[in-house]
Amino acid sequence: MSRTKLYTILSIACVAGYIWLFYGFQNSAAAGNHTVEVCFIKQATDIPCPSCGSTRSVNSLLHGDLSSAWFYNPLGYFIALVMLITPVWLVYDISLKKQSLLSFYIQIEAYLNKPRIAIPLVALVIINWIWNIIKGL
Amino acid sequence: MDAQKVDMFIMANGKFFESHHVMQIRERLVSLDDSKWVEVQTLQFKDPTTLLIVSLLGGGLGIDRFMLGDTGMGVGKLITCGGFGIWTIIDWFMIMGATREKNMEKLQRVLM
Repeated sequence: MSRTKLYTILSIACVAGYIWLFYGFQNSAAAGNHTVEVCFIKQATDIPCPSCGSTRSVNSLLHGDLSSAWFYNPLGYFIALVMLITPVWLVYDISLKKQSLLSFYIQIEAYLNKPRIAIPLVALVIINWIWNIIKGL
Repeated sequence: MDAQKVDMFIMANGKFFESHHVMQIRERLVSLDDSKWVEVQTLQFKDPTTLLIVSLLGGGLGIDRFMLGDTGMGVGKLITCGGFGIWTIIDWFMIMGATREKNMEKLQRVLM
């Protein structure tokens, strides 16, 4: 993973994420909570995917509703955290020509590849997925 | 190293690498010390076709990226529903090249 590639991907993801969030925020303020559903898995199989509901979750966080954010999808907390930190870190790294984010990313990747970390996380995601299916998001 | 051995290696493993890397790999292997041959020969490479199948089936959950060892990007794909489905589609076309690049990196670590 090169620095340019990672930073390009992260920038695109941040911009897309914020546009999507803004659109969802506008819509939820205007007419209930109905946004366009983009999840391919849900459209094709009618079964929610592990991250279905995270837009609604982040939206609830923006409205300060912590409990319904947790109910929609606990991953929303993680996504909100990433979306808050990443742009700041990106700007810091690019403006000062450093690569602290890249080295952090590589460290995290190596850490996540350890089985004793990876297996519990995979289990958590699967439990969350089952919960999603039960909730019928 | 023996040119014949190298050609055998290229014939057996050529599909795991980008075509523009193959000549470079051949030159490096010919000039490589014989003691490294066993190490090179026992390397396990990932098959681009397998990764393509995984990407078609499990790309929305980022399983292809996890399999490649790109855990960070895998997590990214997983928590964004395959990047709103767009990244999934992009990866259907990118994953074979990415696999070949990963194989090249792996071989290079031994050749260094």
